Amino acid sequence: MQEYDLADVNDEMMLLDALTLIKAKDETLSFRRSCGEGVCGSDALNINGRNGLACITPLTSLKQPVEVRPLPGLPVIRDLIVDMTQFFHQYRSIKPYLIVHEPATEVERKQSPEDRDKLDGYYECILCGACSTACPSFWWNPDKFRGPAALLQAWRFLADSRDQATLERLADLDGPYRLFRCHTIMNCVDVCPKGLNPTKAIHNIKQLMLKHLI
Amino acid sequence: MSWHPANGLRSWLIQRLSAVYMAIFMVAVIIAVSICFPSSYNQWHGWIAHPIVNVATAAFFIALMFHTWVGMRDVIIDYVHPLALRLLLLVLLGSSLLLMGIWGIRILFSVMP
Repeated sequence: MQEYDLADVNDEMMLLDALTLIKAKDETLSFRRSCGEGVCGSDALNINGRNGLACITPLTSLKQPVEVRPLPGLPVIRDLIVDMTQFFHQYRSIKPYLIVHEPATEVERKQSPEDRDKLDGYYECILCGACSTACPSFWWNPDKFRGPAALLQAWRFLADSRDQATLERLADLDGPYRLFRCHTIMNCVDVCPKGLNPTKAIHNIKQLMLKHLI
Repeated sequence: MSWHPANGLRSWLIQRLSAVYMAIFMVAVIIAVSICFPSSYNQWHGWIAHPIVNVATAAFFIALMFHTWVGMRDVIIDYVHPLALRLLLLVLLGSSLLLMGIWGIRILFSVMP
């Protein structure tokens, strides 16, 4: 743990601004950042013990001294940069794209506004990794459990009226690990910087499985 | 493609259904006992020997064993990763639950008239 004292901070600064100031003093400090406004999901960090995005966390909201750590549960590459390979492997494994068995249509596939509404609260994920790395089930079984972020995406495609791979997706998620390691701890809901609810998505998947069973 | 629900959904469902049954059973027992509290051994004996109470209690123990199996198995899967140790713990858990279940049902069966 390295300590820095910053004098030139003001009340309008986000944590990312403070990190940038530190980097101006000590250029060896490494962290990821891109858009700086909570859209790209690059700068998810563990801030005072809680995962969040540095760029949308006001310094005034944080207890001093601010303790910033890399996201928990992932291998650290350097300073605040973690290796997200595992996280993106989980994301890829749920096939995050529409699967259609029918032949391609001449025109675009249409979706009613009502069906489109079903994706609200699920498509907004920016894949920052705050939720999955806050999840104890992810910490214990990162290689087998898919984690809240990937499962939220899994539901986003199951809920899509244009997707035709419902059964394949459900079959892939069954078994004791991939979906069912979730014990409704809800750390994911607590930390999501976009206010999304992966636990609800996981619940929806279980309900859909149940519907197909009976 | 046909889809056969394997272990994940089945265990989850067993856990939920057994929990619902146990909750209903416990509320029913509390109500039944508070309405007429059996004040002597013979009354207790007669109460538990009633076929409905007897079978419902046996079902409660079976539900409890299944519920415990799924819950403890979850804990073991989460925290115990070495395969041999996990297998040992699962066997110990399963056999002790099975023994307790059989024991409980034998006792219940023995008080049946």
